[in-house]
Amino acid sequence: MIHREIVLPAPRAEVWEALTDPERLEDWFANDVDLDLRPGGGASFRWSNGEERHATVTEVDFERRLTFEWEDEGEVELTLDDDADGTRLTVIESSPSWSTALDFQASALACV
Amino acid sequence: MSDPLNLVFGALADPSRRQVIGYLSERETATATELTGELPMTRQAVAKHLATLADAGLVESERQGRETRYRLTQTGAEWDDRLDALKQHLQRRRGRA
Repeated sequence: MIHREIVLPAPRAEVWEALTDPERLEDWFANDVDLDLRPGGGASFRWSNGEERHATVTEVDFERRLTFEWEDEGEVELTLDDDADGTRLTVIESSPSWSTALDFQASALACV
Repeated sequence: MSDPLNLVFGALADPSRRQVIGYLSERETATATELTGELPMTRQAVAKHLATLADAGLVESERQGRETRYRLTQTGAEWDDRLDALKQHLQRRRGRA
């Protein structure tokens, strides 16, 4: 499981817009973005190097939480919380692949 | 055959290497010397195990001054780049406003 947290110097509404407006996403996430922002909606991201990824939106909680599932593998949860310095964004990406088993293995070994 | 998964499982098959992984997951980073002090192995054995784990992509090393520190490979590096880009994006917008 991947877990990242960052405090962004902007209010929650603005961070939400940066995460969900295709035009804004094209300024930082990918070169070409299509996003249908509703549960079951599709998302496509294309990069200038020819890479392309597709996802399905699974949960939309306005200005709070956005989750989607990569078509190739893994689920991403983006959660926004107010912070004294702006907005705390928490990213959790879980993948059912063997890398998760290895994370588990490492933590199980740590308990021995 | 040495595809990535074979290397991973080969590396994990050895109990001493699993001890190295267990130690690194507890302490986050360690030098070969620290590992030698903590685990019942010679320095040469530790160095060999670290090399095998690094070949399998399970452990990565980082030079800090005169010492080399080892840690379990961190996943999710792409998110570090993405979040950095998001932060810069927001700063650009606020700079313009």
